[in-house]
Formats: sequence, structure tokens, C-alpha cells
Amino acid sequence: MNGVESFSMVLNSKMARKYFTWALDTTREFHLRTISDVSLFKGLSRKLLRKLLIDLIEKKYSAGDAIFHEGESGKAVYVVLEGSVKIIKKTNSENKTLAVLGPGSHFGELALIGQCSRFATAIAEKDSLLLIMYKSYFDDLIRGNSAISSRILLNLAEILSNYIHRDQPS
Amino acid sequence: MNEERHKGGASLSDLRRLRHQMPRWVLLLLALGVAAVIASRITHLLTMLTAAAVISYIFSSVINAFERIGIKRSAAVILLFALTAGFVIGADLIFIPDLKQEVMNAYTKFPGFSHEIRDALLSTAQRSAEKYPFIQSSIIKLVEDVFGPNGFLEKTLSASEILMQATPFIMALILVPFFVFFLLKDWPGVMKRVMDWLQPSYVETTISVIAEINILVGKYLRGLAADCFSVGILASMGLWLIGINYPIMLGIVSGVANIVPYLGPIIGCTISSLVALMQYQSLDPVVNVIILYLAIKLLDDLAIQPLMIGKSVHLHPMLLVITLIVGEKLFGIMGMIFGVPFVTAAQKTVAILLEHRRESQKRECTQRLILHRLGKPPIRPI
Repeated sequence: MNGVESFSMVLNSKMARKYFTWALDTTREFHLRTISDVSLFKGLSRKLLRKLLIDLIEKKYSAGDAIFHEGESGKAVYVVLEGSVKIIKKTNSENKTLAVLGPGSHFGELALIGQCSRFATAIAEKDSLLLIMYKSYFDDLIRGNSAISSRILLNLAEILSNYIHRDQPS
Repeated sequence: MNEERHKGGASLSDLRRLRHQMPRWVLLLLALGVAAVIASRITHLLTMLTAAAVISYIFSSVINAFERIGIKRSAAVILLFALTAGFVIGADLIFIPDLKQEVMNAYTKFPGFSHEIRDALLSTAQRSAEKYPFIQSSIIKLVEDVFGPNGFLEKTLSASEILMQATPFIMALILVPFFVFFLLKDWPGVMKRVMDWLQPSYVETTISVIAEINILVGKYLRGLAADCFSVGILASMGLWLIGINYPIMLGIVSGVANIVPYLGPIIGCTISSLVALMQYQSLDPVVNVIILYLAIKLLDDLAIQPLMIGKSVHLHPMLLVITLIVGEKLFGIMGMIFGVPFVTAAQKTVAILLEHRRESQKRECTQRLILHRLGKPPIRPI
């Protein structure tokens, strides 16, 4: 455990919570718990998750807002912090709902791999708060940090392998 | 009355028609021209805001570090200001007595400086007259222009002018920290509001512009700070080794001046050469100083800059010089310092927007092709 983490533990102790509530960021703590459940960030330290929360951009979407459309070029991955998002795929002029994602879920991760087009359309089902990670930021984050890059790339490989297994006929 | 007539006789519908007839780039150029005129009228405020933005940008990483351990942003900013005040007081008491001594020496000798430089230049001119007659006439002309009765110093160093020059500086000393405080505290809130206000279809392009500029400016500013620090240290050590007075102060001046591309090293070298000339009343140490600065410049170009700044900011040399000249004309020294990252960021933004436009056109073409193959009429944009 390094100095920063131990200081962070002191700050999160009961005594600190009692006397320094005015200085502690409770909303971010709540979001931190949410993103620690995201499978893409599994295994990352709390320090790094906090860094992600600070550097990534938050955006509110109203119910019914299209986050992105199928076929668009993807440049970012999204994490649901609050609300829910519906993933829709157009098949034979019919809209098929692939998934409804709640807090702690992520979508659009294929954008991190290359200049992939969006496979499906994402629409905010309720008023939602999303965390957006742009591809260049991801590249910048993993460049020069083998521990983070190997962890996230492993998570990404696991997610993709799950997709393949799910789509295979049993 | 629907058709509201203007003084010149043109109706609103005429203006609307004119707007539709004009190519977009003409409108963009007009808007940029108007923005440049307004900006040139409020240069002092813009300069202070730019300085505050840069300081906030540099300190934002410290604030982020506080946030990473769970401290609220507002509390982190107050803590940073308290720490900075403590550091300044501590540095004043403990770390920099040598520098203080140098500054005090220079300050007490300041009234005699111009005479010393004039005497040193004249004696050098007399000594070098036999060997290099052309140097003698040039030096005498320089002495007359700068130190003569109608010279540069006589014109600029009057008390009222010094006071007038000092007023904006004092204002900046008060206002810049004030701006820095609120920029650091409220910037994420402003960004959040901008993002919430944005149409969902523009979100990814906007984030890509913000992220690319953030990465680029971050690399440039951090690299520039490290570069200036290295140049300052090298200059200080070099000047101390060749026995020039005030090495720490001159090192700091050289490091800070190095921010301005091309001109910075010349400024640092000129000031150090003048100090060497005053100290030794001879050209030999001046030559040493020039060789030292040339070596530092060479090292900076070949090793320090590629290592610290890399290729993050790349402007064509001609565009770089134009940027420096226009920046200086519009915003003075600040324009020269921040013109380069500003133009590079603008270049990057235009590239991203063009790419976004190309992608949308490509998508539209693909959609039309699919509809055409399915035998459906194309959807025309409204």
C-alpha cells in the first residue's frame, strides 16, 4: 500500500467522516462504487478508478435521447452511472432490443479497439447519467503503463469472448 | 409590419438572402475578424485570463491528485492556495537567500547600471578599434541610441512611465490569482453544463476535440515547463562556471525567456552578455557567454526539446514565425508565448471537424446506396 492509498484510507475513516464531511466528496464516492462493478475496469485499484472518474466526462441524457446510432463510427466507450440505456439492433426493418443496461454497465467498448462502426443503436430509456471515455484518452492511459493496459485489455478480451460464446448456437 | 427596414434601406429578408448566398467560409472569416478586433481592444484582460488559464491548467493536476484521495474540489482549491502561500513564505525565509541577495544587489546597483553598461561598451569600442574598426562605429551608435540624451533609456525610464507600467502589473498580481481560484474551482461545473446543453449527436465529436486538445496542450505545457527548467539550470550552472555575476537570477531569466520560441534564447543571452561586459569590461567573457548559450540552444534543440515536448506541437517554421509576429502584435509577449499552442490546437480542431464531416458524408452516401438498392427513394435532409 503506498502513501496516497493509506492517506485515502485515513480520509475515509470514521473520524475523518465526522469532522471533515465538508471536505469529502461523497457523490464521487457513490460513483466510485458504481464503476468498481464495471467489468471493463475489473481489477483496477481504487486510486486508478478515482483517476478515471475525475478525467472522464459526465453527461446527462434525457429519456428517449439517442446516444449513438448503428453504423456511426465509434470514438468513445460509455459507462452508465445512473438511469438505464436500451441497446437496439435493426433487423429486417424491425427494431430488436438486445439489452437494457443499468448502473455499473458499459457499452460501445468496440470503439476502444479500432475505428469500428457502431454495431447497434443506444437510446436512453430513462433520464440517465453516463460517463464517457474517449478513445484517445484510453490510448493515453494505457500507453506507458503495462499494468493498466494488460488489465483492461484482458477484461476487454474476456468481454469479447463472452459475446462470441453468447452468439454461438448451443 | 413584417419587413423591417434598416437605415441603409436593406430589409431583413435581403440580409437573410445574402447570408444564404455567402459561402460559409466567408462568414467564418468575418466572425474571426470581428473576434480579433474585439480581442485586440481588451488585450490586457485577455492576457490576464490567458495567464490564469495556463496557471489553472498546470495546477489542475495537483487538484486532481487531491480529488483522487477523496477531497472535494472546493476544499482542494483552498488547500492548494494555503499550501502555495506557505511555500512562498517558506521559500522566502529558507530556500532562496542567495537569489534574494542577488536581486537586492542588482536593485541597489540599478541606477548605475546604465552608466556601467555605457562605460563598458565605450571602453570595449576603444580597445577593439584597431582590430575591428567596424565594431567601434556600431557600438558608438548603439550607445548613443540607448544611453544618449534622446536615447531609449531617457525616454522610457521616467517615474510617471514606470508607474504607468507598474499599474497593470500590480492589477495582474491581484486579479490573476482571483481568476485562478474560480477557474480551478468551477471549471468542471462549466464543462458539465456545456456537455448537458450539447445535442447528443455532437457529443462524441466535442469530446474528441476536448480530449485531443487537452492531451496536446497538456503535453506542450508540461514539456515547456520542463524545458525551461532544464535551460534555466544549465544557464545558471554554466554562468557560475565561467564566473559571471548573478548566475541564479540570470538562469531564472534565461529559463523564463526560453518560453518564447526563437527570441527567448537571444533575450537570455543578451542580458547575460551585458552583465559579463559590465563585470569584466572586456569582450572575451561575452564570447564565452555566447558560446555557452549556443551550446545550451544546441543541447535544447537536439536532446531536451525532443525528449520533453516531442512532436506534440508541430508547426511549419513559416507558420510559426507568422504566429509569433501576429501574437506579438495582438497580445504582446503573452501572444508570442501562447500563440504556438493556440494555433496548433486550432489546427487539430479543424482536422477533427473535417474528419467528422467526411465521416457524416460517407455515412449519408452509404445510407443512400442501401436505400437505392432496396428500391426506396432517398431521404432528403430537411
